[in-house]
Amino acid sequence: MTMEVRGIRKAYGKKQVLADVSFLTESGQCVGILGGNGSGKSTLFSILSGVRRADGGSFFYGETDLLRYLGRIPDLLGYVPQTDPLMEELSAWDNLRMWHDKGTLNRELAEGSLALLGIDAFLKTPVRRLSGGMRKRLSIACAVASRPGILILDEPSAALDLVCKESILRYLTAYKEAGGIILLATHDVQDLPLCDVCYLLKEGRLHPYGYDGDYHKLAEALL
Amino acid sequence: MRRLAGFFRAQLIRVWRLLPLQMGVSLVICVCVGIPAALLVMQGAGEGQERYRIGLVGDVSDSYLGFGIAALQTMDDSRLMIELIEMTEAEAESALARGELTSVVRVPDGFLDAVVFGDNDIHVTYTVASEQTQLGATVMGEIADVASTLVTASQSAIYAMQRTLCEQGSAERVGTETDRLNLMLINLVLSRSGFGEVEVLGYADGLSLEAYYFCRILLLLMILSGLFGSVFFLFRKTALAGMLRAAGVGAFLQIAGEYLAYLAFLFAGFFLPFCLLVPGLERELFSLPEWEGRGAAPFLALLPFLLASAAMFAAFQLFLYELADGIVNGLLLLLFGGVGMAYLSGYFYPTAFFPAQLRVVGSFLPTGAAARFVESGFLERTACGAGAAVFAWLAVFLLLAVVVRQRRILRG
Repeated sequence: MTMEVRGIRKAYGKKQVLADVSFLTESGQCVGILGGNGSGKSTLFSILSGVRRADGGSFFYGETDLLRYLGRIPDLLGYVPQTDPLMEELSAWDNLRMWHDKGTLNRELAEGSLALLGIDAFLKTPVRRLSGGMRKRLSIACAVASRPGILILDEPSAALDLVCKESILRYLTAYKEAGGIILLATHDVQDLPLCDVCYLLKEGRLHPYGYDGDYHKLAEALL
Repeated sequence: MRRLAGFFRAQLIRVWRLLPLQMGVSLVICVCVGIPAALLVMQGAGEGQERYRIGLVGDVSDSYLGFGIAALQTMDDSRLMIELIEMTEAEAESALARGELTSVVRVPDGFLDAVVFGDNDIHVTYTVASEQTQLGATVMGEIADVASTLVTASQSAIYAMQRTLCEQGSAERVGTETDRLNLMLINLVLSRSGFGEVEVLGYADGLSLEAYYFCRILLLLMILSGLFGSVFFLFRKTALAGMLRAAGVGAFLQIAGEYLAYLAFLFAGFFLPFCLLVPGLERELFSLPEWEGRGAAPFLALLPFLLASAAMFAAFQLFLYELADGIVNGLLLLLFGGVGMAYLSGYFYPTAFFPAQLRVVGSFLPTGAAARFVESGFLERTACGAGAAVFAWLAVFLLLAVVVRQRRILRG
């Protein structure tokens, strides 16, 4: 299955945030989007996840333009925002139950992909007592409720310790191997090995970027 | 649809988790508000049976005057309302200062002599502790004036009659004619209550003062319940709204789900006070003039009106918390907005004291619409207009909340 983003445009007033964003990818691939603060990464992701309307362009998954059939997005795409979207008063289990039905959830936790996230260790714990890493893993688990073909993550490993990053990376690798497409916005070079292709979002356009391990060069490119 | 059901289920679990806290606060409010309210009601009931105490100062030793006072205190309807107490000038001043007397009536020296000689230029004076413009004070003034004029005029007539009879050589008729004139005077004084009828319209379209404040205090508590309701919005996250939107649960459905859960949360808080009110009314531990002898049935009939108003205020609170950045701003908005509107709609003072334009504005505000709606229910009248206004405000607040939520999602 292919996924193609074609000519996405978005302006806020006179400011053109996305000028002509286009890229093509296919099942089992991870696309990394790099960009400075305010470069338009979150705007692009909110358009692709159906939260925000684009001024123009299309977003094909297979033969379907999802921007024309927004109602299909929830079943095909999972979205993990930058900050956690969890309900603090509820336990991890109750948060998961908001997105999954009970049977699927038990199955996924026992032997499915959610087992890789290691969330069964804190299922009964109220969210307000969870660490940042636990919250991020739980957020991802919530987003993949509908077993989506595309997973969009906005800075998934920001401010996480190494163990948590590793756990998330392991899950995302498995997700890729199962044929899922990952779109990843990140500042963290530790996420880049997961990406099959990287783009630099600058002045509203995507520029292919090959990270060669030189952090300073990347920082200069982001400026 | 599955995610919407999951979202609503999660909201209900939140309500369930917050319920012990809600019930605890509700209990504390019941104790803090209930005890002073019960004391006030009991005091109010006592006040209803109290009489005006009027001090009589001066020369009241004359037999005619004494007879008149005795007649007033034993036969006249006013004895149920007024107690006349003879005392010295110093005692009266002291009692008036302590608030033990409502007023003092002074019969000046030489009053009876002036009456005997037919002079009507000396009058009884009436003194109150402070200047009042209320009906009660006006009526008291009138009573003093009437007493002064009536006694002066009638006593003058009696002495004139006695003199005339003596001059005409009919001294033997003096006793009989004096009795006849006195009886005429007493008859005239005692039957004066039939001269006119006082119709009390009340402060709000026929409501007693107690009922007026009962309705408005309940509504004010409903507005202020949003202060504690802030715990429901304490952990609100824009990220969740965005993720729900991506999952197909848009701003409208989000607000609808949150609103229904918040309503359940607030209603759970009202449950305890209402449960205490019903047996209290049933056993007539307290009551309102309109509900005297009818138990809790009128209150139960009023409940739908109260709950509909509470639903509107819940929408108002939801909108304010949605509008505000942060819970503290939300609390301040609710406090100033809610209390301000409540003031304009006469929740603290009857609107009868407000200028006409302000009364119109106050009646159209959400607080005014709710008050009119509940009062209609109280008076068992049809309330289509007020009911429509309440539900219109509810819809407006929910729509505004949806617009604000949509903007928050888009701003991220």
